[in-house]
Amino acid sequence: MVQPGVPVILGQFAMRLAVIADVHSNLEALESVLAALQAEGVGAVLNLGDLVGYGASPNECLKMLTNSYYLNLAGNHDLALLSPEKAEYFNIIAYQALMWQREVVQPEYREFLQGLPLTRGMPGKFLACHGTPTSAEAYITHHFQGKKVLAELSRGGGPRVCFFGHTHRRALWYRDIRGKVARLEISRPQVFLEAEGHYLINPGSVGQPRDGNPQAAYAVFDPEEFSIHFKSTAYDIPGAQRRILQAGLPPFLAERLAQGI
Amino acid sequence: MAPYQKEGVLKDGTRVILRPMVQEDRDRLLEFFRGLEEKDRLFLRSDVRDPAVIDHWVHNIDYQKVFPLLAEYQGRIVGDATLHMRKVGWKRHLGNIRVVVAKDFQGKGLGTLLINEVVELAGEFGLEKLVAEIHFQAQAALTAFKHAGFSVKAVFEDLVKDPQGRNSDLVVMVCDVQARERREVESR
Repeated sequence: MVQPGVPVILGQFAMRLAVIADVHSNLEALESVLAALQAEGVGAVLNLGDLVGYGASPNECLKMLTNSYYLNLAGNHDLALLSPEKAEYFNIIAYQALMWQREVVQPEYREFLQGLPLTRGMPGKFLACHGTPTSAEAYITHHFQGKKVLAELSRGGGPRVCFFGHTHRRALWYRDIRGKVARLEISRPQVFLEAEGHYLINPGSVGQPRDGNPQAAYAVFDPEEFSIHFKSTAYDIPGAQRRILQAGLPPFLAERLAQGI
Repeated sequence: MAPYQKEGVLKDGTRVILRPMVQEDRDRLLEFFRGLEEKDRLFLRSDVRDPAVIDHWVHNIDYQKVFPLLAEYQGRIVGDATLHMRKVGWKRHLGNIRVVVAKDFQGKGLGTLLINEVVELAGEFGLEKLVAEIHFQAQAALTAFKHAGFSVKAVFEDLVKDPQGRNSDLVVMVCDVQARERREVESR
């Protein structure tokens, strides 16, 4: 079980791993997921980035995630908060939320964000990134993108699994031993992976799911049985919406939470 | 006033403010539309010189149905792009886009800037494709949409009228919002 305050040494990782992504300053969603994880018996929580952006509780979320048992990565919103020129291509709604967060995020948390790596991994086991292993801004949504990352992953006996986020949608991409790539339909919550395959896995978003299910999404990876279990948990959406509106952020950012878009 | 905004830079270095339309824009909108040339007004769907039309718009703002994005320069409205959405039905994944730019800001890339911003907003709203209907004679608009990643999907010959009342062609252009990400990634 996760023990707050106990550092996780990734090299010794052999236990079940919780995978979360795109928290986006949604405190209510994050609290709900972390409460659910208490019963999961996971050895670590891997957070694929975008801790900030969009939502109204960046400091509260950062305070929770700075604990050393969270293995955090930097996402494109985290990077843009530190370097606003990276937000120039954000749409007007995302841009406004980020500019507000630049004003309110406390200095110690900026320092924390500056220290976040772009990738994490365990040789031969898994790799983790926000967008792709080479870019926090790039997406894996189309076949050519999944194929490219999987080809790089399988080259030279790379890790079997790459976790990614950024799209806010659950996804499971597969490359078989012949090199054929397909996006698999997630028809059951738990998927047993094939030992010879290479996989790209997106757990969905904690703080702003966009696949029609407004519940906070996460996943649990079991390296022993080589499986991924996609999960979601209800949270106080009206509470998160109230905070967004009280902060004066674009109302759409509140409205979308109830719709899962 | 507008709850949020962003700055955009035109080809000649001019900086404009991009922001959603708000109720207080009524008089400046009327001034903007009344300043358009007749040939530009003809491509619009409403009589935008009529104060009642503008009143109806500013008193019925619903950003989830129509997102009106304005470009402002030194307090003056110089461009207007609207994103039209449906929440239900067989076209719920589609958005329609309309753009109009003040005469003295045409040829500066403002149309492309506004269209690009609307495409990004469409992605944020979960839309998959954007559709633009353009009069064949609106060559500047055709170019701006092409620069923003739209491509021609259909041409309806002799379907619409030109400013002189002659029949002309209607061009339908479409932008695959998600495929645009592909081009951006490839260009990096």
